[in-house]
Amino acid sequence: MAHKNTYSLSKIDSLTTRVLWIFGIVSASFIVLISLFITVRGVRPFITDNNGLGNVDLWRFLTDTVWLRGPTFVSTAYGAGFLIIQTLYLAFLSLLLSFPIGVLTALFIAKIAPKPMAAMMRGVVELMASIPSIVFGLVGVGFFLPMIYNLARSLGQQSPGGNGTLGIVIVLAMMSLPTITAISEVSIRAVDQSLEHASLALGASPTQTRFKITLLAAKSGIFSGAILAIGRALGEATAVSLVAGNARSGPNFGLFSINSTLTSTMLEGLKETTGIDYDIRFSVGVLLMIVILLTNLILNTIKKKVGNVHV
Amino acid sequence: MSRRNIAQLLLDGTTYFATLLSIIALGLIFVYVFREGGHLLSVNLIRSDYHARNFVGTLREESPGSFPIESFEGDDLFPVERYGIVLQQTQDLAGDTVIRVYYVHEASPLRQLNNQDPTTNERTISLQEGMILRRVSYQEHPTSLTSRGASMMATDMNDSQREIREVLFSLEGGGIRGSVITTVYLIFLTLFIALPFGILTAIYFNEFAPVNKVTKLMRNFIETLTGVPSIIYGLLGITVFVPLTVRLTPASNANLIAGALTLSVILLPVIIRTTEEALKVVPNDHRWASLALGANKTQTTFKVVLKQALPGILTATFLGIGRVIGESAALIFVLGTAIRDQVRIFEPSTSLAVHIWSMMTDEPANIALSSTIALIILLIVLVLNVFIKVTVWAFNRKGSY
Repeated sequence: MAHKNTYSLSKIDSLTTRVLWIFGIVSASFIVLISLFITVRGVRPFITDNNGLGNVDLWRFLTDTVWLRGPTFVSTAYGAGFLIIQTLYLAFLSLLLSFPIGVLTALFIAKIAPKPMAAMMRGVVELMASIPSIVFGLVGVGFFLPMIYNLARSLGQQSPGGNGTLGIVIVLAMMSLPTITAISEVSIRAVDQSLEHASLALGASPTQTRFKITLLAAKSGIFSGAILAIGRALGEATAVSLVAGNARSGPNFGLFSINSTLTSTMLEGLKETTGIDYDIRFSVGVLLMIVILLTNLILNTIKKKVGNVHV
Repeated sequence: MSRRNIAQLLLDGTTYFATLLSIIALGLIFVYVFREGGHLLSVNLIRSDYHARNFVGTLREESPGSFPIESFEGDDLFPVERYGIVLQQTQDLAGDTVIRVYYVHEASPLRQLNNQDPTTNERTISLQEGMILRRVSYQEHPTSLTSRGASMMATDMNDSQREIREVLFSLEGGGIRGSVITTVYLIFLTLFIALPFGILTAIYFNEFAPVNKVTKLMRNFIETLTGVPSIIYGLLGITVFVPLTVRLTPASNANLIAGALTLSVILLPVIIRTTEEALKVVPNDHRWASLALGANKTQTTFKVVLKQALPGILTATFLGIGRVIGESAALIFVLGTAIRDQVRIFEPSTSLAVHIWSMMTDEPANIALSSTIALIILLIVLVLNVFIKVTVWAFNRKGSY
């Protein structure tokens, strides 16, 4: 009897498993769906004649230094090469600002701060991480752009309304700060205490131990945080486009010059929902995904190389 | 020796300095948003329309009388005895200077006006308290305008030489009611779709999935979703979900259902991960105890294990609400940026975050009202963070004995 009972119940279980498997497979398929559909639409401007306008030249698209030569909706001479360079430049420049601040804050929270202070700081980091990007953009426009404008003027430089590189870098750095801090803190806390004890026993001061042993031992995790932050910075759209100034040609590197990224170009002048000027945004989207993917791959390879070196 | 001490103090000092900068960055956001937008925060803001509706009316009969107006004293109040109204010099929700109707006498001729707007069927319109008086024009006299102030307008209207030809007034605009409703719709629709989907997926991976390469691959695919920028989800929304909803529902264009579906995909990895973490900490003893008592795996999972994962699901819900409220890039693509006062599920409209975007990309940008909305968003985010903390704390306390 018991045997029979078990048999009928396990039939329910196998049915449940199969039903739940569908949910699992659908969830897993979304990334495939995204890649597939966006690629199909993104490739279309290159292989069709775009309703008689002629196809977009792929090589020019990947390398040109002007977004669009000729009038909108008529010309197909799109170029996004400078956008790739600018997007990477801005993301890494923002990391230059957020990385040291984030890692040092993480070190403070994990190793120096007394417990209540550390708990409070964790709250600060979590709260900052949950602030929507549009709010960062708003503060960027309202607070930082006038400051940058005045700074540029006092240095005798041109800066249209303060829009451009410096504003983007500050906004991106603020946004990626909590990511770097949170992940660095976890990996600093995960460092084997016997390493630190050994260092202290050998006569190193607590400060020396923190900076020369703990940070170094946690470098793999810290690097992961930086990779994640870069990924976020590359894909950030609304906040960046509010402070970018949307340069239509480039590449721009000057701190006070207007700038643009792949994402800000996708959002710029979004009025019509048909035509070549709309379709090309999907191509930029595909380009963005490729840039993020390649950057992640390269950085992860570097991480593995660096992580293997024992210091 | 002392030089070494100073060097170490400096090194430690860098961590203090960095921490200080982090706190300043957060403080700056809150202080800025509060300073710029705090003064506009009111219940009225959430209840009123964004677009002001205009009315143009003429007087029924030319018989202005005298309406005694008492007990309205104030620097910004200007009584008009001839028509029985009191005008107030004030600012609207967007921060522009306007003349608001503070009081209208019951017998005021302005309560019964002939509608001069041919596009509506109403024949009678009435000036009511709280409305904005934009312009009063007279026969053979220069028009009273908002720009010349309430005091001037009151003096002009009281002038017995002048006969009113036409009155232009409007409901007060600059409210965010439509965007609030849209945001609430989006939160409920998204959670309605994403929560069951995410929880069931999490259950599959933690309780039922075989440990093999396929499962690992599926997990990796879901994990990859977290790295996809939200603007890409926007593209997914317009290529997949908008056409899908147009085919299946009465919608003919971008709509809230498509927006909610897009947001669901964004939330999915968060909900799956959070739920799974909660499922993981359920002790195996409980599963075995349930199985030993004769329950099957399905019963064990849904009646014993899932119940204990409730705090995780609650946390996922709070995280999800925060994400929906803050999302802008994806919704700009899926729902457009046109601010609506009449929100319908099968039509496009803006959430609070996109409302900010829409105003910030206008010329000139409305920073005051944007900051007020940002303040509302920040307060909600703050409350959600507290909720998550409380949930985790309550759960840990319960689990400790």
